[in-house]
Amino acid sequence: MAAPIIDIRHVHRIFETEAGLAHVLHDISLTVAAGEFLAITGPSGSGKSTLMNILGCLDTPTSGTYLLEGLNVAELDDDELAEVRAERIGFVFQSFNLLPRMSVLDNVELPLVYTDCPRREREQRAVAALAAAGLPADHYDHRTNELSGGQMQRVAIARALVNDPAIILADEPTGNLDTATGRMVLETFHRLNAAGKTIVLITHDPSVAAAADRVVEIRDGRLHHPAEAATSAPAVAPVSTPAPAPAKGVSA
Amino acid sequence: MSIRDLIREAARALEANRGRSTLTILGIVIGISAVIAMTSLIGGVQQSLVSSLGLNAARLVNIGYGGGELRQKDLDKLASMVPGLEAIEGSTSGGTQMKVDGKNVYVGLTGGSKRYFEMTGAIDLIQGRLFTPAEEDAGARVAVLSRSGLKVLFGSPDVEAVGKSLELNGKSYQIIGVTEDGMYGGGSDDYVNVFMPAQTVTDDFNGGHEHLGPVFGLVREGVDVDEAAGTIRNALASIKGVPEDQVDDTIWTYTMKSQIDNFNQYMGSFQLIAGSVAGISLLVGGIGIMNMMLTNVTERIREIGVRRALGATRGDITRQFLAESAALTVAGGVIGIVLGYLASWGLCVAAGQLGLIGSLTGGTETSLAPSISLVTVVVAVGISVGIGLVFGYYPARRASRLDPVECLRYQ
Repeated sequence: MAAPIIDIRHVHRIFETEAGLAHVLHDISLTVAAGEFLAITGPSGSGKSTLMNILGCLDTPTSGTYLLEGLNVAELDDDELAEVRAERIGFVFQSFNLLPRMSVLDNVELPLVYTDCPRREREQRAVAALAAAGLPADHYDHRTNELSGGQMQRVAIARALVNDPAIILADEPTGNLDTATGRMVLETFHRLNAAGKTIVLITHDPSVAAAADRVVEIRDGRLHHPAEAATSAPAVAPVSTPAPAPAKGVSA
Repeated sequence: MSIRDLIREAARALEANRGRSTLTILGIVIGISAVIAMTSLIGGVQQSLVSSLGLNAARLVNIGYGGGELRQKDLDKLASMVPGLEAIEGSTSGGTQMKVDGKNVYVGLTGGSKRYFEMTGAIDLIQGRLFTPAEEDAGARVAVLSRSGLKVLFGSPDVEAVGKSLELNGKSYQIIGVTEDGMYGGGSDDYVNVFMPAQTVTDDFNGGHEHLGPVFGLVREGVDVDEAAGTIRNALASIKGVPEDQVDDTIWTYTMKSQIDNFNQYMGSFQLIAGSVAGISLLVGGIGIMNMMLTNVTERIREIGVRRALGATRGDITRQFLAESAALTVAGGVIGIVLGYLASWGLCVAAGQLGLIGSLTGGTETSLAPSISLVTVVVAVGISVGIGLVFGYYPARRASRLDPVECLRYQ
């Protein structure tokens, strides 16, 4: 059995605010196996954004461990985290977050600028990523503000793919899209996952979460196994791979 | 981020904000162009000064004596007493009037030997010849005119004047040569310069009364000019019997070096003022840069967050914004350099038109060219880059210190 790509254990995140200490994440433990398609759902204020930031190495836990592909990320300094983000993580945001003054191709190549990828290779990889994301080639020279929402999100997905990351982290990727376009984006994720990409999708919408193979719920800073949500008492035990998808993944 | 990527991003950013960028770098443009215009003008004037002094200028010592008359025999004794002197020659002067087509024209006479005129570079022959030793000794009635003098006397500066004669005070002088307008100036509509052997001027125009001045000594190559000048002063003091405590008041020597020192002093205050204007302009420009970059950073908070999420380190962000401000100021510097040189060309032409060049250089150049040196350009570009880096550093650092999560949340 292969080691999990994401292995989080007993992670807490406490913020210092003007109102005092905010204990946003409590004792979070989670594993994600290679090739899994996981959804994390929860209402706003549940801490799912904070969890995503930690998963994406944009934030470090106050305590606990986070092994990403076996690397202990919680102990890395700022520059090292940046390197991890550049090489191992692909973000897809709700509001696309493409750079408006640049062309599609330049946007997709952007993560490669922050890696050691030689300049000649960049366009090649960008084109391959755009193809995988399903954007037709005649759009490659367009400025990103000339595209529709669905097209922009495809560019964003391509950008997330271009550095061949360990995980794709998608934060409400369909939030700014209409239902039909949103479905297309989720289909793209399915395709990528079928080809072997590990995807973690964060959403408040259960119907979007249903597109994933496995769903994990976060409420009040704690993770819940969906089967246990039926009982009113929150589960405190670490979440492990649930029965519905035994083929993939390994319990913590 | 590699240097190439940095430059590309910087160029892209500048292009996106063309209007604002142009306004912001105005201060840099003005400051740099002021510095360039000033240094190239001064350099041009200096070069003009050197060239107008003639080839021997570095070795010439101008000797002044205020205690009475200097005669040729004094000069001969001086030559024998100062072995460092290759030659010593004096000129004499006189004046008279003549009528040309009913108009009164003043004639300024300069008497000297062929060697004197050649040594001092005062004469630049375009027709004919200078005097022979026999003509000089005999005080022959021969004359050399200047080009503009031809215009006054014969109507055109290009007349074949050699062989013609010139009537002064009832005596006839044969014109043996014509010189380019030079150190003595060209004269004007009612003033001509005429050059004759010193003896001729003494006999015909000064009543036989010999007084020499200015006097120039040509120091041998390899001999220290200031040292030779000191020896000359002491030797002349002993020839004329000047007591030691009066030497400084009575005898003076003037070398090109001191002329250039004077010029530099004269230019010094001008440089100071122009330099201060430039410096203040650059300071204001730099503050403008800082302000604009701070605005830039605020406008692109989201972008900073995205870049950080995609793998940019703090250093990458700092370098990105520093590259932008440096590109801005370099652009301003280059524009300033071009404008500065154009301005100095313009000023040179204007100064020529207004006839100011002579008073600036102390000579008689009639045209001035600004001096363009690679060193100045490199220094100006260096200053521009420096301003961009110094004033751009604070905004760049602020950008890099932003929390990526906050940036991504920013509306």
